[in-house]
Amino acid sequence: MGILIGQSLVNAVLLSGMLALVALGFSIVWGVLKIINLAHGSFIMLGAYVTFTLFSLYHVDPFLTIPVSMLALFLLGYLIQTYIVNWVIRAPLLVTFLLTFGLDIILINLALFVWQGDVRSVSPAYAGTGLTLFRDPVTSQGVQVPYVRLAAFAISLVLAGLLYLFMSYTKLGRAIQATGQDKDAAQLTGVRVAPTYALTFAIGAALAGAAGSLISVMQPFDPNMGGGYRLRAFIIVVLGGLGSIPGVILGSVLFALVDVLVGISPLAPLKDGVAFAMLVLVLIFRPTGIAGKAFY
Amino acid sequence: MSNLKPETPNLQSKKPMPVTRWDRLLGTRRNAVYLGACAVVLVVLLILPHMSLSGFVLTSLTTALLLAVRAQAWNFIGGYTGYAAFGNVAFYGLGAYGTAILMTKLHWPFFLAMLVGGLVATVYAVIVGLPVLRMRGQYFAIATLGVAEATRELVSSPQLSRLTAGPTGINLPFFRPAGLSGAAAAEAGSIFFYYVAMGLVVLVVLATWWLTRSKLGYSLVAIREDEDAAKMLGINTTWAKVAAFALSAFFTGLVGGHYAYWRTFILPEEVFNVRYTLEGILSAVLGGPGTILGPVVGGGIYDAVSTFLTFSKPFGIDLGQFHVTILGVFIVMVIVFLPRGVADFFGRRKLSWGMFLENVRQNRV
Repeated sequence: MGILIGQSLVNAVLLSGMLALVALGFSIVWGVLKIINLAHGSFIMLGAYVTFTLFSLYHVDPFLTIPVSMLALFLLGYLIQTYIVNWVIRAPLLVTFLLTFGLDIILINLALFVWQGDVRSVSPAYAGTGLTLFRDPVTSQGVQVPYVRLAAFAISLVLAGLLYLFMSYTKLGRAIQATGQDKDAAQLTGVRVAPTYALTFAIGAALAGAAGSLISVMQPFDPNMGGGYRLRAFIIVVLGGLGSIPGVILGSVLFALVDVLVGISPLAPLKDGVAFAMLVLVLIFRPTGIAGKAFY
Repeated sequence: MSNLKPETPNLQSKKPMPVTRWDRLLGTRRNAVYLGACAVVLVVLLILPHMSLSGFVLTSLTTALLLAVRAQAWNFIGGYTGYAAFGNVAFYGLGAYGTAILMTKLHWPFFLAMLVGGLVATVYAVIVGLPVLRMRGQYFAIATLGVAEATRELVSSPQLSRLTAGPTGINLPFFRPAGLSGAAAAEAGSIFFYYVAMGLVVLVVLATWWLTRSKLGYSLVAIREDEDAAKMLGINTTWAKVAAFALSAFFTGLVGGHYAYWRTFILPEEVFNVRYTLEGILSAVLGGPGTILGPVVGGGIYDAVSTFLTFSKPFGIDLGQFHVTILGVFIVMVIVFLPRGVADFFGRRKLSWGMFLENVRQNRV
């Protein structure tokens, strides 16, 4: 019993790192551009396929493919924002929502065309190995910590930290923050809004790409994998409160705890439904999220 | 938190309806001309199945009519009330499953099963709508998206598999008119389903027409323009929003029931496919949301273009496998160049190519 609880806690912590990375990109795009990027899930999916392609064709170590998928998604995000989303960014909510949904199904179907609908997985030689903590001397069972998940957790934390430093201490990061707080005031101080939006969207896409690469090592995937992560990103951002990096991390820890607990309960087949009920409750009783209002 | 402020998806301009070329041309006979045009279209649609069309054409027309109903049903909540509902496929799937279960388990006749299927969707919309319609803007939009996902999960869950047969799907009985068999029965079937779909279109258009003249309709438009002001005026906004959502669900559920009996086989992944939501919204936006005939026309246009691109092999390229990609590209094109739909053409004094660029210029950064 103690081992079960310990294992659940360890799983939750490891899961929360990956979820934080999934939600970070979504959160900065929502916070700065004020649009919900429904194509976020397919960016994650593309990141996973970049890793899959490099791994299966050239046998590159999956963790070394992360910079490649981040760069590829950065470019894709920059182009999409500059040439499509920026054209309608001031239109009403329904318009941007529908547009990013359209982009999402285009990307998913192109992926289905290129990589087919089969379930894929990336399994390097060290995939099954891990640490065993608190080994019971009698049954020799313990809490398992797979190396792959541990590395993914560490990489997520590093990327979140880098994003925080970039947003707080660089000129570009501060320009992004300023644009998110007041677009017109930022413009008056010399920030060019259109490229700033494109840069923000590209960073969001790059983070999604990194998350996709990490997910590809941890679980099997197919071109439709993104939808669930999109909903999770949304719930995490709402839980933590829109617009702060620590909020996103808090939100993903909470979400991961609930997710793992539901997973070992009889409600397991309705996991997404439970997560969704959580979202509705938070929005009704604490609409600014648990961490309250903050901004980048 | 500023994002909780209602960013109402208000696609109507706040300006009063301009006097357009068409209105000036038609003068005071405007309503008579519109009514006459509707009557002509109706008569043409009525006699079309007897023109010895191929089964393919009749199937395409039925699909277009069903899409028109779904677009108009979305229009109640999305167009008139201004709530960007992205979960209508939940009602579609529930209508399909309600009809299928009643017809296979209880052997109910089709029309009764379809009606009750629609009512099941309506009741579900009321239950879900009461909490979800408290949210606004982006929160409401993504909440409805989540409702659709959760509903699909619920219907395909093992706990309900004795009722819904889970991932194996349900086979419905075939449409069997008395005294016919083989090809004759199939032809009678496609004509039957065509007329039922057409009846649904007439029904939903009449319902919209009634709505625009009713107190509920005015309440919905007031909510779209300014929800807080509507509340101050004494409008029971909760009730009005739930009513619009339920109305939307009822017609979407009816279409789902029609689809189930027409196709005779349903699966959770098929009838809860988010494509149905998107097609409905796109058609409504394309035709002009918040109008009586716009969504119906938009559904027709979208279906014609999509069927043409999918089956005609333009430039020798077989686009059949890109069916959904075409939907995506269509969405992007309409959103960028024609965000107010084809109704925009009629709202202008002069038509020119510059109009498309003007739309872009209005909304870009």
